[in-house]
Amino acid sequence: MRKTCLFLLLFLTCFWGNRVLAAARFTLKDINNNRKTINTDSDPYGEFKTIVVPIKRAGNLIIIEAQLDTLEGNFILDTGSPGLTLNETYFRDAAHEEDKESGGINGQSASFTTVIHNFSILDLHYDRITADVTDLSAIENSKGIKILGLLGTRLFAKLAITVDLFNNLLYIHKLDDKGEILPGERPFNQPDMKTSFKLLDDVIFIKGSIQDEDMWLAFDTGAESNLLDYDNFKKLARRMKIISHTTVTGIGGNGYENSYAFFDKMVIGNYVFKRNHIMLTRLDQLGKVYNTTVDAILGYDFFSRGIFTINFVKKELEMYIYTYPDK
Amino acid sequence: MDRLKYIISLLTLLWLSGACVDGYAQRPGNQVKSYDHIILLLDLNRPDDALDSLLTNAGVANPEIRNIKNGNYQALQKAGWNTVLMPGNKLRIDRPLTSVPPGKAFAVIQQNQIPFRPGYPVEVYGVNNFARVTVHELPNGLTRFFVPGRSNAKRVMLSGSFNDWSTLKGLMLKTDSGWIKDVKLEPGAYEYKYIFDGNWAIDDNNNLHRGDGIGNINSVYYRYNFTFKLTGYGNAHRVVVIGSFNNWNPNQLIMEPGHDGWQLNLYLHDGMHLYRFLVDGNPITDPDNRLTSKDVSGNKNSVLNLGATVSFRLSGFENAKHVYVAGDFNNWVPDELLMKRVGNAWIYTRVFAAGNYQYKFIVDGQWMVDPTNPHTARFKGETNSLITVGPNHTFRLKGYASARSVSLSGTFNTWDHYGYTMEHKGDEWVISMWLKPGKQLYKFIVDGNNWIIDPGNKFWEQNAEHTGNSVLWVD
Repeated sequence: MRKTCLFLLLFLTCFWGNRVLAAARFTLKDINNNRKTINTDSDPYGEFKTIVVPIKRAGNLIIIEAQLDTLEGNFILDTGSPGLTLNETYFRDAAHEEDKESGGINGQSASFTTVIHNFSILDLHYDRITADVTDLSAIENSKGIKILGLLGTRLFAKLAITVDLFNNLLYIHKLDDKGEILPGERPFNQPDMKTSFKLLDDVIFIKGSIQDEDMWLAFDTGAESNLLDYDNFKKLARRMKIISHTTVTGIGGNGYENSYAFFDKMVIGNYVFKRNHIMLTRLDQLGKVYNTTVDAILGYDFFSRGIFTINFVKKELEMYIYTYPDK
Repeated sequence: MDRLKYIISLLTLLWLSGACVDGYAQRPGNQVKSYDHIILLLDLNRPDDALDSLLTNAGVANPEIRNIKNGNYQALQKAGWNTVLMPGNKLRIDRPLTSVPPGKAFAVIQQNQIPFRPGYPVEVYGVNNFARVTVHELPNGLTRFFVPGRSNAKRVMLSGSFNDWSTLKGLMLKTDSGWIKDVKLEPGAYEYKYIFDGNWAIDDNNNLHRGDGIGNINSVYYRYNFTFKLTGYGNAHRVVVIGSFNNWNPNQLIMEPGHDGWQLNLYLHDGMHLYRFLVDGNPITDPDNRLTSKDVSGNKNSVLNLGATVSFRLSGFENAKHVYVAGDFNNWVPDELLMKRVGNAWIYTRVFAAGNYQYKFIVDGQWMVDPTNPHTARFKGETNSLITVGPNHTFRLKGYASARSVSLSGTFNTWDHYGYTMEHKGDEWVISMWLKPGKQLYKFIVDGNNWIIDPGNKFWEQNAEHTGNSVLWVD
């Protein structure tokens, strides 16, 4: 039986110093390491060189609108998801290609695979896509926005995308025979950082280092924070500072503590990122999904530092880093 | 345990802007080994549903909230949690991080609704301010948005709070002088932007724009619903409206002179407002409005009621001496809203903004629900009549003919176990409600204890009890 994996990191806001950061909501769901590769999906097509798609934001999540048949709505751009995931609330009645184990109301299956037709992101069209249908209600309820689904990496497997959060823009690029963005279509020419990556079950993994410790880092636009595996934190603890060790009591009356770490040096590709923040958690369950170790996840704390381009054919990540007076 | 530090909490994440404190830096590396615990601080005064959801998210199967509230922590301890009852009926539970159940991993879920919706203004009043008027009302009641020029653009979209900030639905029509889009707007405040070939932009001709709190700047437009008029005073130099809605600000709402007096168009939210005119600095009440009241300082103000008129009516009780109506709209003051005897009934009329209101009649000191109103609700254990003004959704449950009662419960009434009682009409149970825009979850309660999802609504989501909740999005 085909299984799916899905992880999301969602994030709420906390403060340190005078800087506003986000606090987190984090879900790891339906983890299983028996994925099958779906190769029956059609290739995307459309009359364009580059599409400019306006981005909306929900917290630190990147929202773009897409159309599924006649239904238009919000999808989260989630490079931590392998393919297209649909929200069970609205797609429960879709044709079941394959059920999953989880139970639902009255014992019915609550999670399954379906095939959809006529999916479009503006001028980018797909005739046939396999999609997982699962419960995304927690995201809706935390963000207060209707979410039809998640857009994972397979949708862009033969393309490149550029995300410019400063201007809230997503560029979807067609590539030439060599896998390059077409001449004159690059939003920026001279990236500050460039690195290759590998895809494991369609999720992006980058080799990098945190405080001189080499690690495999998942690059996840659905993660509202950077995440560091707890075991790695233990190794690095003397080279990190725990911050935002704050007890928070809110309107509900419940209190909690939220641990965030600060560290000075992260190297990705040829670039040294200073002044980094990362949330501490366990990623071992996630690692089982990919049959590898997930040392850390690069989320919003990382990718919000610049404009980034992911070339899924050449398997390259480029970044144009924003510069701030205090950095 | 008191010195235990944490690394990750499974918790209720809350709106933090007012609750968070500055974090502090800790010297690197100390006390690491004591960090690997999960700690939750549970407020046992919270509703069962909230606690159940929190603990379920923390990986506690069948948390048995009733038992926990009664001091029986066996379910928690069985799941590996240490328990410490704290002052204030708070329960602190903790367990080693390594005992998080495999497969469940972490689920840190925000339990609380976002207190505001970025990009959706909630203002009491407003006046437009355009450098060049590019948004205006049409005779057919629609509102036209106009973008001059931009002839080189291939696709221009109008996106705003009125179309749920859609980037696909607001396609503008190209004309020989620019781009237009006609939209149906109710009176109110709206935020919007244009999208030129995918690129967001504010309205260059609109001087009103503001941040939405999450980093975006949007243009603001008010669809008007009211005009203040002051006849005469042709020799005055400056006339201003001041009122309770703008905190009596004398420099904000400056009226325009006309051929027979002064006037000001604006958007003003439904409700009761007090106001005066300042004529060259001298306050006067509105000579065309006989409704006045004095404030606590003894100032006489004109009174403006905007909204829907509702008449409360109680038939019979011809021998009663005093009949009042009281409700949440007057803070349940019992002897304030006197009803008048008209024909064979007692009547009280009042203007309300859209909303759901609970009330009761007080007949010679005796409180009673409205005998002709099938809709009731509970507040602090008391059953009251329920009235909805300006409903925007009707809930219907077909069948259940033999049920003694059906009521409605959901996020809008904090999942109250009594709910809002529905009326049995023909072959269905019905209630019309006013609901805040956004997502609402709900269920029907049949005969007081049978909670069911709405069989007429195919949209539902799973809940902590695995019994599902119906999902409704209100525009």
